[in-house]
Amino acid sequence: MLDAPLPPCSRLGHVGHAKRCLSGLPSAQVELDASTMAVVFYCIGTLDLLEMLEGKTSESDRQSWRDWVWEQQTHGPNGSGFRPSTYMTPQRSPNVQEDCTSYDGPHVIMSYTALLSLAILRDDFSQLDRPGLIKFLKSCQREDGSFSTVIGSGDTDLRTLYCAFAISSMLDDWSGINVDLALQFVAKCRTYEGGYGQSPNCEAQGGTTYISVASLYLAPGSPSTRLTPPERQKTIQWLVRNQLSSGGFTGRTNKEADACYCFWCGAALQILGARELVNVRGLGQFLSSCQFKYGGIAKVPGEHPDPYHTYLSLAALSMYPPEADPTWAFGPLDPLLNARVETSNWARAHIPAR
Amino acid sequence: MSLVDRPFYSARPEWKDVEPLEQYENINPLAPILYTDEYKDATNYFRGVVRDGEKSERVLELTEHIIRLNPAHYSAWQYRYETLIALNSPLATELQLMDEIAVKHLKTYQVWHHRRLLLIQLRDPNPELKFIAQSLKADAKNYHTWSYRQWLLAYFNNDDLWSGELDFVDHMVNEDVRNNSAWHHRFFVVFQSGIRDSEKDRERVIKRELIYVKQSISLVPNNASAWNYLRGILDHNKLPYLTVQVFLEAYTLDTPPATGDIVDLENPPPSKEAQLPCPAAIELLADVHELQGAEGVGKAIDLWKSLRDIYDTIRKRYWDHRIKGASHREGV
Ligand SMILES: [Zn+2]
Repeated sequence: MLDAPLPPCSRLGHVGHAKRCLSGLPSAQVELDASTMAVVFYCIGTLDLLEMLEGKTSESDRQSWRDWVWEQQTHGPNGSGFRPSTYMTPQRSPNVQEDCTSYDGPHVIMSYTALLSLAILRDDFSQLDRPGLIKFLKSCQREDGSFSTVIGSGDTDLRTLYCAFAISSMLDDWSGINVDLALQFVAKCRTYEGGYGQSPNCEAQGGTTYISVASLYLAPGSPSTRLTPPERQKTIQWLVRNQLSSGGFTGRTNKEADACYCFWCGAALQILGARELVNVRGLGQFLSSCQFKYGGIAKVPGEHPDPYHTYLSLAALSMYPPEADPTWAFGPLDPLLNARVETSNWARAHIPAR
Repeated sequence: MSLVDRPFYSARPEWKDVEPLEQYENINPLAPILYTDEYKDATNYFRGVVRDGEKSERVLELTEHIIRLNPAHYSAWQYRYETLIALNSPLATELQLMDEIAVKHLKTYQVWHHRRLLLIQLRDPNPELKFIAQSLKADAKNYHTWSYRQWLLAYFNNDDLWSGELDFVDHMVNEDVRNNSAWHHRFFVVFQSGIRDSEKDRERVIKRELIYVKQSISLVPNNASAWNYLRGILDHNKLPYLTVQVFLEAYTLDTPPATGDIVDLENPPPSKEAQLPCPAAIELLADVHELQGAEGVGKAIDLWKSLRDIYDTIRKRYWDHRIKGASHREGV
């Protein structure tokens, strides 16, 4: 079955899906209200991975997108960063500069997705409040090394820690975080299976395993001091076992395959230097079968697509392009930041202070 | 999604003193959500309340309403918690309300986070175990629910809390032997949460766990969760893989061996219905052989080849990698 020819990648369909979501989401998606920036990143990122940003959007569109993202940069007493959207922002004259209330402040995960979105849009980052962002990260780190998503919330897990690492790496400035303490927290999330859970004592999961591995390799210094060869081997083994006979990856032992785990597990394997162990053919088969007939990619065949699974599927294919079919060819991906290599180079060239 | 036909806040006299604040919107918003009028009305009043810093009973009503419309609205959750504390509200009542809301929104992070905050204040963790067991009935592999249980046990860490845990997890494994969350939880309880008095005899505990997982494998051999658990016991306790060699061998054959009436607890054979050979057993047996010199490596390579060519072809490249690595090291 895995040898059957792949149906073509409906590239224009996926562009259409991303553009439709950028223009508006139905009321049933109200749960995305507090994470719009991430949705925006997945949509713009989809256009980037398909290399259709220039061809399928106008410069004035892209400028208005940049403006929107910058509008989410907010400044408060504990630093600055990006908020999810204006969902907590009252109507006022946009010229009035006032400190945000603590319920309308920056969010670590949204700050990471905002920086990547701006890099995709090739912004010059002249508006970035770098000292404010570093101060914000500092205010979010907790005693156990983990990070809260917003200031003053106990809401903490590994995702936020990874985003703080990715931001510091893009800034090329790690002064906002205590790296050793954070790495101790990561180590506590490791489980007997070889993967990492979301918090200490939790079950190994593909997404948080990617996040842990990426954090270990993003941090300054040598990753080999943080992961012994047997540990690395065991993690690779667990990740490889997550590829199921359908070709898709599961996120946890004995669960079903899901498109997003093709990225999370595949990217972790690439970072660990084990990309040659992935069954690329199977991965392509599974992801092509998750394509929705009107564009976008769903978590499993037959379901409705969403920006998250669409972006992550294309990102997985960028690392593991199935050789046979030219519609499935993509440019290379930087697995550490989760962006096209050209985009991550842009970020690293323009985000650090000069 | 609307609750009963409740009038909008803008039509309710008791909300007249609050100035509703419309959401700020850029002329070209990105990925805007087409809000319902009900959500707009409620969040307009919420922004107004937040700007004024009001913390009152009616704020509890308003935030509950918003949470029901959008359980991922983390600001509403945060403001609600602060209001509860400011008002000195009975948190046990809040917890009861959460029993109902949690079951509706099991997959929403905030629901569980709020619960943790309440428990930290209430400091009465024991009844929670029953609530968690109940919500696992709706979704036995829910990640948030299990994390919450693990947090609760580790955070309060009292003997009473731990006393029924092995029985509970045994029940969960029996309900679905492939529930990896349950197996993970067992590992957490037995090996990674400190050693309680009843578990001080570690040799006995390790032996018990080995028998437990081998019994489970003998009934359902093709279960990755059980094999990972077995490897976990060996690795965590630094036991040589060699100690399970005899047990493994029967699972690498094509048919179950003929057995007499003697029950060997250490080495239970595969059940008669078992699908054999079992790839996970072949893999572990190869790991055992790999550590036994050149001759062992030769045997390991034969096993890996059988996985590559017949029993686990999706991981062909992985088995090739193992074969290459071992041949290289041993010069085979
Ligand atoms: Zn998914």
